[in-house]
Amino acid sequence: MNQARESVRVRLIQMLSIAAVLLAWEGVARAGWVDPLFVPAPTAVAGALGRIGRAALAGLGETLLKTAIAYAVAVVIGVGGGILLGSVRALRQAVNPFVIALYGMPKILVLPWIILFLGFGAMPAVVYATIHGVFPILVLVTGAVRDVDRNLVTVARAFGARRWQLYWKVVLPAIVPTVLAGMRLGIVFCLLGVLVVEMFAGVRGMGYVLSSLANGFQAAELFAATALVSAASIIIVLSLASVNERLSQWRGESR
Amino acid sequence: MQTQVVLIRVAILVAALGAWEIVGHTANPALYVPPSAAVPALGRLLALDSYPDLAQHLLLTLREILVAYALAIAAGLGCGFVLGVNRLVGRAYGPILAALYAVPAVVWYPSLMLFFGLDAASKIAFGFLLGFFPITLAVLAGIRQVNPQLLVVARAFGASGVTAFRKVTLPAMLFTLVGGLRTGLALTVIGVIVGEILGSKSGMGSLINHAYGLFRTDDYIALVVVTLVLIVGSDAIASLVERRAQRWTE
Repeated sequence: MNQARESVRVRLIQMLSIAAVLLAWEGVARAGWVDPLFVPAPTAVAGALGRIGRAALAGLGETLLKTAIAYAVAVVIGVGGGILLGSVRALRQAVNPFVIALYGMPKILVLPWIILFLGFGAMPAVVYATIHGVFPILVLVTGAVRDVDRNLVTVARAFGARRWQLYWKVVLPAIVPTVLAGMRLGIVFCLLGVLVVEMFAGVRGMGYVLSSLANGFQAAELFAATALVSAASIIIVLSLASVNERLSQWRGESR
Repeated sequence: MQTQVVLIRVAILVAALGAWEIVGHTANPALYVPPSAAVPALGRLLALDSYPDLAQHLLLTLREILVAYALAIAAGLGCGFVLGVNRLVGRAYGPILAALYAVPAVVWYPSLMLFFGLDAASKIAFGFLLGFFPITLAVLAGIRQVNPQLLVVARAFGASGVTAFRKVTLPAMLFTLVGGLRTGLALTVIGVIVGEILGSKSGMGSLINHAYGLFRTDDYIALVVVTLVLIVGSDAIASLVERRAQRWTE
């Protein structure tokens, strides 16, 4: 009872705060305390959303498509490479420092080079986003496979499990939570990568839309487009998180 | 065993550089920049031959990083403690913060450019934005780790609020806090450099863009190496501080 009442209060505080911020912003903009050229009122932003809606949605669609391709490649390489590195000790010892170094390195430094190789178009965005997204997944999965309970593996072997059975029945179920955590991290990294390339050297896509609106000093349209991308990425991350939660509940029940 | 592993790693590195050298020479040295071309370019850069005003740009980038990081620490600690001390406030605003953290930060950068212009201010703002979130979230996580019973006991024995904070809360959360500060620094550095590369007139990022735009690929590689030294150096300092703090808590 008490908890229910608290979560109602929490929701109320959240909504009231957001409403208060929007109202104050509107008031400040209407009163002329800030330059509407730089800080347009929320109502102006909402109006701009209607004006740019079609173009922005097309840009967003293109960006999300590139992100999806890069993400698929990043997940396949990340999970596959992670299982390989996690299970072969010698390989892991030899290669891991390089993986960690590449993970830590700001990828933006190689972006100009990628553009020189691949030109302007969808390809550099997909490649750069894949590089961006693959490392967190690879590092997490490598760690998870390495830390799979040795006893489980030994017992499975003792009971005569074949290699594929060992992976399918023991290793894979054990690493599912980590894989999902990596996938949730990876999607943000991939989207970030695509947007950065589109801003740096894009001729289409949401990143290009954002930077050209900024260059044209169209603040209201820029804010509307920013809100649109933000909403899209929040929705994607939240839905991945809820899939995650449902899967872990399912894992819990099946035990 | 240990030396063997090190040897293998060195062999991989040498093989990669060798392959790069061969491929670069046979394909297109101007595009691939094999190590034999990158090293002289680095020499020219450090001798201030290719970019005489390198020091100015490097200092500007450093200054942007320092200002952005100082702002991120101040705002992150402030926000984190305000959200962490009051349970209801934390429950209300924590999820909003987490949702904003899920947005790829670069979407805010065009707006920051519009606000603050092409100069240092927009880079500082972006570096600040990237550094702010991990610090705030680390403070929140750290406060949650403090055992409330210890606080009650400390207060019962007559410790003032400040003493209780210094003797109980701070040591208990220090580890998490320092980790967050280190992540915050790394992200601030990335934010400033991303900002510079996406659009600026001075700083290391602008030099990188300049070299890339003129197809001076060897100079571009040399600039990237210098920037990487800056990044690795800042993280090395942070990790030193982290280790000091670890020892202090133990």
